[in-house]
Amino acid sequence: MFREKIQSTTRYVAIIGNPNAGKTTLFNALTGMRQKVANYPGVTVEKKEGKVIFNNGDSATLLDLPGTYSLTANSPDEKIATDILFGRTSHTPLPEFVICVVDASNLERNLYLVSQIIDHHTPLIIALNMIDAAEKSGMIVNAQKLSDELGVKVVATIANKGIGIDELKTAMQSHITVSQKARQWSLPNVVKEECRELQTILQDAHHLSEPDSFHEAIQLLTAASALNEHQDRYAPEVLEHVKKDHEHLDILGIDRQSVFIESRYEWIKHVCEISRQMKPQALETTSDKIDKVLTHKIFGFMIFIALMAMMFQAIFSWANAPMEWIGEGFTALGARVTAVMPAGDLRDLIVNGALAGVGAVVTFLPQIFFLFLFLGILEDTGYMARAAFIMDRMMSKVGLHGKSFIPMLSSFACAIPGIMATRTIENRKDRLVTMLVSPLISCSARLPVYALMIAAFIPQKKLLGFFSLPGLTLVSMYLLGLVAALTFAWIFKKTLLKGETPAFIMELPPYKLPSLKSVVMHTWERSYLFLKRAGTFILGVSIVLWFLATYPKIENATPAQQLQQSFAGQAGHLIEPVIKPLGFNWKIGIGLIGSILQREVFVSTMGTIYNIKDAKTGEANLSLRQKMHNDVDPLTGAPTFTILTAICLMVYYVLAMQCMSTVAVVHRETNSWRWPIFQIGYMTALAYGMTFIVYRVGLLLIA
Amino acid sequence: MEISPRSLSEIPVGKRVRIHQLESKPEVCNRLRELGFCENAIIRCVINGEGNLICEVCNTRVGLNHSIAQTIKVSIV
Repeated sequence: MFREKIQSTTRYVAIIGNPNAGKTTLFNALTGMRQKVANYPGVTVEKKEGKVIFNNGDSATLLDLPGTYSLTANSPDEKIATDILFGRTSHTPLPEFVICVVDASNLERNLYLVSQIIDHHTPLIIALNMIDAAEKSGMIVNAQKLSDELGVKVVATIANKGIGIDELKTAMQSHITVSQKARQWSLPNVVKEECRELQTILQDAHHLSEPDSFHEAIQLLTAASALNEHQDRYAPEVLEHVKKDHEHLDILGIDRQSVFIESRYEWIKHVCEISRQMKPQALETTSDKIDKVLTHKIFGFMIFIALMAMMFQAIFSWANAPMEWIGEGFTALGARVTAVMPAGDLRDLIVNGALAGVGAVVTFLPQIFFLFLFLGILEDTGYMARAAFIMDRMMSKVGLHGKSFIPMLSSFACAIPGIMATRTIENRKDRLVTMLVSPLISCSARLPVYALMIAAFIPQKKLLGFFSLPGLTLVSMYLLGLVAALTFAWIFKKTLLKGETPAFIMELPPYKLPSLKSVVMHTWERSYLFLKRAGTFILGVSIVLWFLATYPKIENATPAQQLQQSFAGQAGHLIEPVIKPLGFNWKIGIGLIGSILQREVFVSTMGTIYNIKDAKTGEANLSLRQKMHNDVDPLTGAPTFTILTAICLMVYYVLAMQCMSTVAVVHRETNSWRWPIFQIGYMTALAYGMTFIVYRVGLLLIA
Repeated sequence: MEISPRSLSEIPVGKRVRIHQLESKPEVCNRLRELGFCENAIIRCVINGEGNLICEVCNTRVGLNHSIAQTIKVSIV
């Protein structure tokens, strides 16, 4: 139903291409701001659709497919692209035609994908992109000649400067056909014969179309001899024939794996010779010179660490001033509401429930903004791929691929884009291990918790005259998460998900200056999502918490007694026996319960419960951290928080899985409940165990 | 002109080499071929830093680790 509806109302077009060919830039240039799904820093892994509006007012829906080198799916990411192109999915209609983005400076490899699309009889236009960069490196590609050779329309573009976009739009409105030049590359005769026979059998047995049978025949002929992976998919007569083909070709000494790829490349070479002029060039490019330093075994690593240190330092120092403004703004707003509204439960709800809770979280917006800004710049300059390259050495020690480092790096912002970025990892087990450990990396939602605890309890001391104690504490928390993630990756690769250390093969795109527009757009989208969550989810939780902390009302009780007798207080008391060994009392218990769904709720919970309490004792003008600092147990006089409690609490937040969104994404990506449940289990046990150890050791040190 | 094949990891920086044979697992070989590391293709080693190396293939840079580079047999042209 859905499928028909889409096709009848609007044209559906997909955009495909190699990674780094400028696909997303072209997509943005065609659709402008009319996009449906945000792109995450890392890789284009989300299903992203946009609307193209033509001069005559007509429109088409454009789908941005994940980058792929070929239609032989290696990773889940590439499988999505292939499935959609072949019309194998129910969630996405078959595109009317595709726009294939070809990087002009890398014609050979990009034409490999083009040749596969042409062979599949898919209607196609080519956007010959980045012709300026190609000319700079001495390559002039003649779009007309290329078009003649391929039998499809070719439009030259420079997507980041908006050049060729109008021509491309005009071309999209014309009648797009399949190329008449399909399969012009020639296989050795014997292979061609086998292929043809197999196609006929496939068409009969599985009712495949001619192009589909061609694709499947190649897949089967290049498959490993055992055919284990294909047992369930194909009819016995097909497999029988494939076995005979394999034997035949093997006897003739033909390398079944390479013959298809090589033959295609032979044809591509011919196409390139006709349509491209090459001028001799200096061998070493600027990118190579930069790479000599940035990927150096020692300097490269040091520069990487320095960049990360700078990033976290900047997040803290630059964000300070705007954070104070936001905090003061919320305090002023609360005071204003208090002044104009009559005293009562409603005013209490707005000031001490909603404003205090949401304000406590929104204060951290500047830090989140800077974190995403930095990651966006690293991605846009091309440095992210180098980070993977440098880190491969370290990652391979724990049995993972350098590529697994990109999801981990994204997880410093948020584990959700991090887990989605694992789709570029080809090996299923490695992908699973990366998913299991990524949430141990400290994400931006933990930052508010760390920031609050550090500001309140870690003294402002300088060490060695340069490092500040609060800064070092923060770095230690981030390092603890990273070390835990790597350790568990190693453990999982040795036990649960055994496997070899994968091969590192990764394209390193040339360095470029980051595009201000796209970096700011990413950063804004992420910050907006954070704000939206604060305005909806956190607002709701704050109101519920205010209610739980205010009722049932007790006559003539002191604020402290009132909180203790409230629903929230009772719940806190209920879990106190479990968290007591970690040095946490019932008030922290309220915070822990509240943040099971989302970590930053801890901060809003503290904001709410301390505001309720202190609004009545006249301490309302103190900041949250001062209030937490002054808080003592009315019975024993012992403070609720000490330095040790603050550290324990941070350690607990580093290691515990308190994020329902992450659980949901892991469930979706693994298509099972087994892995997310396992993840919650091992992370909670780890958090509890480590916090217990830190608390006990801390007590011994103090005594 | 042709010298007996060596592995890519032993090739000095800047030398252009022709690929003879890929000796990895089939799926790794296929990925390499799709990226341009086919038999008979000419590539150049740009950076070889004890461990990982960067090669120029079809005018792009591809990073490889040492163990993969060892399975790529090449000869200097």
